[in-house]
Amino acid sequence: MLWRLRFGVMWVSDFIDFIRSNLDVAAVATYQHLYLSFGSVLLGMLIAVPLGIWLSDKERLAEKVLAVTGTIQTVPGLAFLGLFLPLLGLGVVPSMTVLFLYSLLPILTNTYTGIRGVNPAVVEAGIGMGMSPRQLLFMVKLPLAFPVIIAGIRIASVYIVSWATLAAFVGGGGLGDPILTGIMTADINFILMGAIPAALLALAAGWILGMVERLATPRGLRG
Amino acid sequence: MVKFKNVVKAYENHVAVKNLNLEIPEGELVVLIGPSGCGKTTTLKMVNRLIEPTSGSIFIRDRNVKDLNPVALRREIGYVIQQIGLFPNMTIEQNIDVVPRLLGWPAEKRKRRVYELLEMVGMDPEIYAHRYPNELSGGQQQRIGVLRALAAEPPLILMDEPFGALDPIARESLQDELKNLHSRLNITTIFVTHDMDEALKLADRVVVMNQGEVVQVATPETLLRNPANDFVASFIGKNRLNGDSLQSVVEIMLPDPVTVHPQMGLAEGLALMKRKKVDTVLVVDEQRRLLGSVAVETLDREHKRARTIGEIMNQDPPLTTIRSQASAKEAFDLIIGEKLKYLPVLDENDVLVGLVTRNSMVSALASAVWGDVGE
Ligand SMILES: Nc1ncnc2c1ncn2[C@@H]1O[C@H](COP(=O)(O)OP(=O)(O)OP(=O)(O)O)[C@@H](O)[C@H]1O
Ligand SMILES: [Mg+2]
Repeated sequence: MLWRLRFGVMWVSDFIDFIRSNLDVAAVATYQHLYLSFGSVLLGMLIAVPLGIWLSDKERLAEKVLAVTGTIQTVPGLAFLGLFLPLLGLGVVPSMTVLFLYSLLPILTNTYTGIRGVNPAVVEAGIGMGMSPRQLLFMVKLPLAFPVIIAGIRIASVYIVSWATLAAFVGGGGLGDPILTGIMTADINFILMGAIPAALLALAAGWILGMVERLATPRGLRG
Repeated sequence: MVKFKNVVKAYENHVAVKNLNLEIPEGELVVLIGPSGCGKTTTLKMVNRLIEPTSGSIFIRDRNVKDLNPVALRREIGYVIQQIGLFPNMTIEQNIDVVPRLLGWPAEKRKRRVYELLEMVGMDPEIYAHRYPNELSGGQQQRIGVLRALAAEPPLILMDEPFGALDPIARESLQDELKNLHSRLNITTIFVTHDMDEALKLADRVVVMNQGEVVQVATPETLLRNPANDFVASFIGKNRLNGDSLQSVVEIMLPDPVTVHPQMGLAEGLALMKRKKVDTVLVVDEQRRLLGSVAVETLDREHKRARTIGEIMNQDPPLTTIRSQASAKEAFDLIIGEKLKYLPVLDENDVLVGLVTRNSMVSALASAVWGDVGE
């Protein structure tokens, strides 16, 4: 028992020494990781939010588009990277492309359902009082759908931050790098040096966007 | 003001409105009534072009609505929907303010208007302007729904079962308020309901519809006395009013109206009116002979200048009154014909014996039609 504890303490202090001496590697990997994941989510937002808004009054088309993005979601990440290899080669570009495609579905779905979910009575009141479609969107639909849209972005961010570790397989960098090194050299220290910050980043992203979600909820919709 | 000319709305397998012809003069409050699915909402929404007619035309002040830009048209027409539909992301002030904002009124004028409207329905702007809809009761929310439609001073208001979801008490007081607002502002109003009491109480004219067709257009009184056919009769009620079921004005009056003596102090008078929830009281002498009346606004306005009710009561023009020997019909004619809010009933010695109000009239009618309801 005591021996185990002693071993544990020794191991932790070893691990801390290890991180200290590899701090620069860890920092670069974390930076790349952030860049990869938030870059892709941002790109996903820029495409999926306007697309979701545009689709919100086109039910038929929306069903098809959502089916396509849903299918994308089911393709395993590694397979996807493999598929893009001949097309986009190695590096950051194919990594971000794949991550971006994954981020589309949750953001698109939430934008679409968020806007569709706005109480029809409120929409009718807006139209009936003489709002143009654009005014209706900005004065009523978007503010009311905003919490749902942010929730979609939060879900996408949490996923993407953990999936971004896959980028290492195609030379995209990020926290997947130390993990891959650790797997190949059977060194648990390397694996943990990638896995722990990746998990913390995912938690942080979820927490921060959860806050934004609460703050973005109009006071009239809370409680 | 509004004219429907051969208006038809047909869906693939159903004709919702069949050849509607109807003219609504300026300032009138028209109530559309009929069973569910008879085309009331469809009729209403064709006016502000939320629904386009299949054929026929609708004119507002001689302009064919088809030729108007629908967005601009809607800003000129107040619209109140059944489900209230306040914008939950906006404060009460912002909700009321929507159309003035769309019309680009200056901020100063908009704020003044919102405050004025809230005061008009007795909701303190300092308290309510910055609340959100979910912080209000159902009755208050619907009150805001009505104010929102009035905000830009539209010449025409459409109301689709605005009070349908409210409890009877809130409903009753909103009806009174609407009647009040309407007689004050004289805005042409098309009001949809399926509640006959509500129609009789509010309408200048009632339009009875069935299966997409107008069955009868008449004043409440004519409707009750001369229903056009069995449908209207049965819609009004089974034991409908016949010539002799209500004979004397005594049967439709409140026997014990709130009265005050001229010597009463203003503060006391005000307290009494608050307690009894009335906005006008009759002033009588020791023998209960009618001297005049006082409205709560006068009390409020004059409480600095005057000390007793006697100094500020309204004596001229003399109140329209009726003798207790008169028939109920005469009372109806007076109230409806002269748009009175109430009618004091006096005996041969000018002693006040009761008061006919629109409410007492409607409940007397209702109990004549349906047997004793409530009370
Ligand atoms: N989009 C539509 N397609 C087909 N039929 C419709 C459509 N909208 C309404 N109708 C039909 O037209 C008829 C009239 O509808 P409307 O909403 O005007 O009725 P209403 O008198 O307002 O009834 P309620 O008292 O229930 O509100 C109904 O039979 C309804 O089913
Ligand atoms: Mg309806």
